[in-house]
Order: sequence, then structure tokens, then C-alpha cells
Amino acid sequence: MQRINSITFENTLPAVFRAVSGDSAIEHSDVWLSRRSFLRPGRYTVEAASGTGKSSMCSFIYGNRHDYDGTILFNSTDIRSFGIGDWCELRRRHLALLPQELRLFPEISVCENIMLKNRLTDFFSEQEIKNLLAEFDLLHKYDIAAGLLSIGQQQRVAIVRALCQPFDFLLLDEPVSHLDRENNLIAARMIMEAAHSRDAAIISTSVGNPLLLRAGDSPGESIVEIKL
Amino acid sequence: MVWNLLKKNISVGQIAGYAVANLVGLTIVLTAIRFYSDVRGAFSDGDDSFVGSDYMIISKPVPLLSVIGGGRQEATTFTPDEIDRLRSQPWVKKVGEFKSAEFDVGAYIELGGRRMSTALFFESIPDEFYDVSPSDWTFDPSDPMIPIVLSKDYLALYNFGFAASRGYPQLSEELIRKVPISVALAGNGRYDRLPARIAGFSSRLNTIAVPEEFMQWANKRYGTPGQPVEAPSRLIVEVSKPGDPAIERYLGEHGIEIGGDKANSSRAIYLMTLITGIVASVGVIITLLAVFILVLSIYLLIQKSREKLHDLILLGYSPGQICRYYYRLVGLVNLVVLVLAITASATASLLWRPSLAAMDITGGSILAPVLAGTALIVLITIFNFYTIRRLVMRAAC
Repeated sequence: MQRINSITFENTLPAVFRAVSGDSAIEHSDVWLSRRSFLRPGRYTVEAASGTGKSSMCSFIYGNRHDYDGTILFNSTDIRSFGIGDWCELRRRHLALLPQELRLFPEISVCENIMLKNRLTDFFSEQEIKNLLAEFDLLHKYDIAAGLLSIGQQQRVAIVRALCQPFDFLLLDEPVSHLDRENNLIAARMIMEAAHSRDAAIISTSVGNPLLLRAGDSPGESIVEIKL
Repeated sequence: MVWNLLKKNISVGQIAGYAVANLVGLTIVLTAIRFYSDVRGAFSDGDDSFVGSDYMIISKPVPLLSVIGGGRQEATTFTPDEIDRLRSQPWVKKVGEFKSAEFDVGAYIELGGRRMSTALFFESIPDEFYDVSPSDWTFDPSDPMIPIVLSKDYLALYNFGFAASRGYPQLSEELIRKVPISVALAGNGRYDRLPARIAGFSSRLNTIAVPEEFMQWANKRYGTPGQPVEAPSRLIVEVSKPGDPAIERYLGEHGIEIGGDKANSSRAIYLMTLITGIVASVGVIITLLAVFILVLSIYLLIQKSREKLHDLILLGYSPGQICRYYYRLVGLVNLVVLVLAITASATASLLWRPSLAAMDITGGSILAPVLAGTALIVLITIFNFYTIRRLVMRAAC
């Protein structure tokens, strides 16, 4: 599968919004019921109120949910044509997701949680993973069950886990909702470095506490603010 | 690492419950099969390798009239109509006719300086009815040597009746095979003496049998030309299910007798088949219930792990990759059950082996239960795998 250069929403609407399609919030959306492309290696911050379909958007792109009308294209391919095998390959090498609810496995250690993702592509060495955790000051939790960490610590572990793979698009669903400004800056730097090294795009959603992204040095790495 | 995560939801109790239930069911099935193959040996004559127990020889009873009236042949022969009707019975695989010699036969034996001679008769059955052909079961007129299969009963009659009362030497099977025999064939104005040899003994063929090839040659040479071929008075029948009550009913209705005591032994085989069939069915039912338990626990297990499976698939694991962990678990449990069940049925067979050995019966091989058990477990495992795959795919979406 070749790299994804663009993700395009064409007249897309989550099925749950069908009944309210005349709603003004949806009419003013940059994504729903219009045409919107996300291009690599752009840096997109998606700002929206709760309940306007942020997580739905991430799930649609990640192939996790298909309950929408309209079309979503990767390059020029309708993603409804992908089978489960295609989605596995996409999730290993082309799309990375940090879900809002983190989805760490609470009963296994921080190390095992991250390795579970990393071993699919052996993207990082164990030392590189430890370095990333050290940046977040979490190295001492390495062998602790993930369920015993605070929610803010879990969010940082989940960010590290999301980076343990090659990707074209990094989907971050409220990535810093439980982090203070200092950790937000560390996360933003780590994420931007990871995206830059992979020549990848970032789509980051928030409800008022955005990931503090900056424009990158390379052409195309500009910040695009989108209203959902 | 994935397994570390998934195994936390496995209920050891459920898997153990399945294993025990399946072990009990499978052991019953295998033991029944083992018992059947062991005891079946008791009913088939181990020493009669030529004609198997699926054959029976039938004839009509000799009526009183035949003696008084000077031998009306029609009474004891089978008409073509009767043979056709027999052929059309569902339990009949094939029917062969006994062909008798249309010439005079005499046999001469030199034994310890004494010469013995006797009038004889020959019969033949089609070669296809021999499970194992006797050695050199052919006849070549240019190098004549007549192979003969003799009924065991005749030898017994000679040894224990005739020889004992007349003071003649008793003959063992081995000895009589080595004795040179010459056979006189007379008829159609010809008289020849040809060498013959005993090719074997049979307890099921109640006759003096020669190859059909020889019979055709001899009937042409010594038989009276122009005389119509006699209708056969005895038939050999291959049946699909020895001991089937339908056979007895049919023969009874048409006044036909089965040669020898084979009817009894085949009735016993039939009953035994029935009983072991019932026992094996009980085993199969228990096995099926056990499989039901397993499917239920797989269902529960995957239901409990549903969220984990979903998350693993979101991480990029393929459903196939995840299935493999469950395949390995179920495959291992089934393999252990199979090995234990085979061991258990082999142990159980020690219970009846000594009594069989006392009756001088060598048991059947362990191959049948092992093959049956393996086939059953393979089927169960395939079904389990299919269930796992279906449930994991459902969790994936």
C-alpha cells in the first residue's frame, strides 16, 4: 500500500446527525456536509464543542466505525472498499491513533502496553521507548501495571504508544485533556518530532485545551485550524 | 505478550470441565471400537483365510421325495429365476454358482507303502469369491497340476472316524499337503491321470474345490457333449451385513438353508455390532455434549475478552493473529484429551484381554480406535476453530 497523501471528506455526515442535518452547527462545520481535505504533512488542530463528532471523525478515518453518509477518500480510494486485512495494514504502517479514552490495558505493565504496539513493526528499540518515557518523567513506572497510574500519566503512556509505529497520519483525540501546560509542551514537541521524521501529518482535536503545535520548518508543515 | 493479556480471561474450570467430559465420551467411543475389533476376531475363523465371513453358502434341503422318487434334481437346484430374485435382494452383494464336475473323479494316494484310492467329486466357485487366492490357483493343461482346497470337515471325518476305526494313519494338514496325489479323470471316452496337490483347507467352503479354470477345461474334455449344463444346487453369496435378520427371513420364506453353523455366528456378530453400536453412540452423545460445553466456554471467553480483542485489533493486530492464540489453547486441550482417551481405552482393554486370550482369541489391533479417535478429535477441533474465528471476527467489527 502506498503512503496516504490526503484524506478527503466529501459530503460526509455521521449517521447520528441525519435527523439534525439542518442544524446551524453542522451547516457551519468545515468538515461535515462539505468537502475537506487533510494533506500530508500538514498540522491540523480541530476545535469543536463536545458532541459535534470529533471522536466520530477519528473513528471513521481509523476504520473503526462506518456509520456515516457520504464518502471518505484516502488519496482517491473510497475507504469503504477496505477489508479487515487492509485496515490491519493501515493501522500498522499508515495511521496512528490516540483514542480519547486511551484504551490502555490496565492489567499489564506500562512496558507491556507499549511493546504490544511496538512489536507489530519493531519500530523502536527498547532504549528509544525508555528515552521517550523519560522525557515524560515516567521511566520509574516502566514495570507498573498501567491501571495503577493516574489518568494524566496514562495519557502520556498512550501518547508514547501511539508513536511506536510508522505512520502517514497521526490522529490525536483530545491528546492533552489531562495534562498541564508543561507536559503539553513536552507532548507537542515529541509529537512534532515524530511526525517530522516520518514526513507525516497530524490531526489533533480538542474542546478548548489544544495540543500546542507550532508550524514546522519543512514546506507544508503549517498549522491549519479547523472548526468542526 | 498478547497471550499474557488474553489468558487472564480464561476460566480454567470451564476448560477442565470440557476436557473431563470429552475425555469420558471419547474413552467410551474408543473402548467400544476396541472391544468390537477385539471380539470380532472370535467369530471369524482365523484359520480360514480364503473365504471371509461375509460369505455364506446356501442350498435347498433334500426332500424325502428325492430319495423315494430316485432323485428328482429340480427339487434341490436353483432355477435362473430364483437366482435373479436372490440377486435383487438389498443385502446381497454378489452371487456365485457352484459348478460341479460332469465326469468321474478318482484319487490315488501313496502313503508309507500303502496305496489308497477313493472316488471323489470336484466343485468350483468363481475366483472372485476368494478373499485370498490359494497358492498357484491356476491350471495349465500343458503342465497339468491340479490345486485342491479341501474342506476341513472331510479331513476330520477321515482322521477321527475312518482312520481311527480302520487302523489307518492319521494325517495332519502339513503332512497331507506334502503327499503326492494323483487324480484319475474319466468320461467322454477318455481316461487320464493327472498330478494334484492340496493347496489349503477351508472351514467355510464345505466342498472339494478346484480352480474354475480347471473345471471349464475338464468339463469340456471329459463331459458328455451335448448334455445340458446342470442347474447349480449350491450358491455362494456375499452379503453386505452378516447377521442381518432380513437374510434369515428371506431364506426361511423360500426354504433355503445356510451351510455350516455360520448362521449362528453371524447372528452373534450382528448382536454384538448392535450392542457396541449403542455403547459407541452413548459415547458420541457425551462427546457432543462436551463439545457443546467447549463452544459455550469459548463463547463466554471471547465475550469476556471482547473489549480486549477490539482494542488489539485497533492496535493493528489481525483477527487471524488473535485467533491463533485460541487455536493453540483448544488444539492443545484436544490433543491431551485424545492421548488420554487412547491410553484409557488401551488400559480398559486389559480388562477383557486375559479372558479372550484364555479362549485363544488374538485381539484386534489398536489402530482402529486410534484412527477413529484422531478423526473425531480432528473434526471437533475444526469445528472449534470455526467457532473461534467467527466470534473473533464478530468482536473485530
